[in-house]
Amino acid sequence: MNLINKRNVKIRVLELVSEALQIPISQVSEGLSLGDIPQWDSMGHMGIMLLLEERFNVEIDTSILNTLTSIPSICAFLEKMEQI
Amino acid sequence: MTKKFQIKSAIIIPPYLVGDVQSKLGYIDEAILQGKVAPAGDVIDLTLTSSPDDNLKSRIEEKVQRMVASMVEGSFKPKIQVLEDCMTRPVPYTKDPNPELMARGEMSKEDVGIYSLGPLMSRLIDYFESKFLLLADSFGARPYRFPTLLPAKLLGRINYFRAFPHSLSFVTHLREDLDIIDNFAHTASCDDHGLNAPLDSFAPIPALLSPAVCYHLYFSLADKPLPDGKLAATAVGHCYRYESTNLISLERLWNFSLREVIFVGSKDFVVESREAARERMKGVFEEFGMAYRVESATDPFFVGEFRKQAAFQSAFQLKFEIRARLPFKESTLAVGSYNYHQDFFGRNLNISLPDGSPAHTACVGFGLERMAYAFLAQFGFDQKDWPEAVRNALGG
Repeated sequence: MNLINKRNVKIRVLELVSEALQIPISQVSEGLSLGDIPQWDSMGHMGIMLLLEERFNVEIDTSILNTLTSIPSICAFLEKMEQI
Repeated sequence: MTKKFQIKSAIIIPPYLVGDVQSKLGYIDEAILQGKVAPAGDVIDLTLTSSPDDNLKSRIEEKVQRMVASMVEGSFKPKIQVLEDCMTRPVPYTKDPNPELMARGEMSKEDVGIYSLGPLMSRLIDYFESKFLLLADSFGARPYRFPTLLPAKLLGRINYFRAFPHSLSFVTHLREDLDIIDNFAHTASCDDHGLNAPLDSFAPIPALLSPAVCYHLYFSLADKPLPDGKLAATAVGHCYRYESTNLISLERLWNFSLREVIFVGSKDFVVESREAARERMKGVFEEFGMAYRVESATDPFFVGEFRKQAAFQSAFQLKFEIRARLPFKESTLAVGSYNYHQDFFGRNLNISLPDGSPAHTACVGFGLERMAYAFLAQFGFDQKDWPEAVRNALGG
């Protein structure tokens, strides 16, 4: 995956997290993790996962739900999926 | 005219959700007496209180399809993890213990989900309790006593109304008004459905019956730093969860007793304590001689919250149940659980650690009636067949 695509994935993830948690994108920092803000709680987390499945057309198995707990880990997952 | 009503589900219910969907059917409409989802997940069979007309059929079908869609669409398949499996441990009894419990006066039904217990059940519960107290002692857990009533405003702080509205038990009293109290005293009467009295005689609901023991501890620690940064506590109490058509004998009571060992502190402290409790209980269950397994589980969240909350609990391995074998129906019954709440209570109730971060919590709970019931379902009533440790403790 080239740098431009990586950058695009990160921007799309930041927008997606902002939408799922219903917070302004300015509050979504690049290193944001589950539990860092009140909106990213268990329900917020599952909202992000459902939107990820829908927008990126990926299937998220329960066994990896607990690994996608930050913006960097979500980006890394999507980048890996792109390569498969 | 038949009272049966069959609905073809618009969405196939996957096998891992059949039990959860079925357990919610009783909450769909007051006309439903019983509901069953076919193993294939395509058909729902309902038994109704009366023969349904087209209006009722259409109303129920709309609600059933709505509930199924909410629980199934976008659901995540749970990851079942078995931590202990002693299900093949031999047990001598295979009969249904219910008729014997009734005949001996060990189980007396006051109403649906409300039972009194006799001397044998009480002594068995005391025995199991003594073992759970030893577990609590091994952690230096401090004893607490909590009320049965839980103020509504406190339960509201932990989003309980959103997650488990279906199982709430409300408490109220007559309004402080001489005319209303006089009128009630002279006109109140009961029928099969309960107490008849004008609804406006009652005050707004100030409290609910506790659905769990540990909440009281968390509320007592709210809005202040946690002294010493960690706490192990224990308490026993009556708990109340209304389970509609799922209320069945001692397996699922509206009013039941729970012994809890509760941990509050850092993530490492509570997670390690929960795991240590499970390890220590292995030996205790061996002493009880019971066939059981410990496996991951989820709480019975209501429809709107179910899909997300259950998946989150499963993915983060927050709940493990001790499921005892019920030989007479080749099924299992949850008699206890090991729970980790992450920092949910710490954040929502503002319980802080010395570094200012929210406290994490965990609890280990044992259902006392279910423990005694499952034991008798596995070993029967002849004490000669009981494991030596239990027989000796009860003086048989």
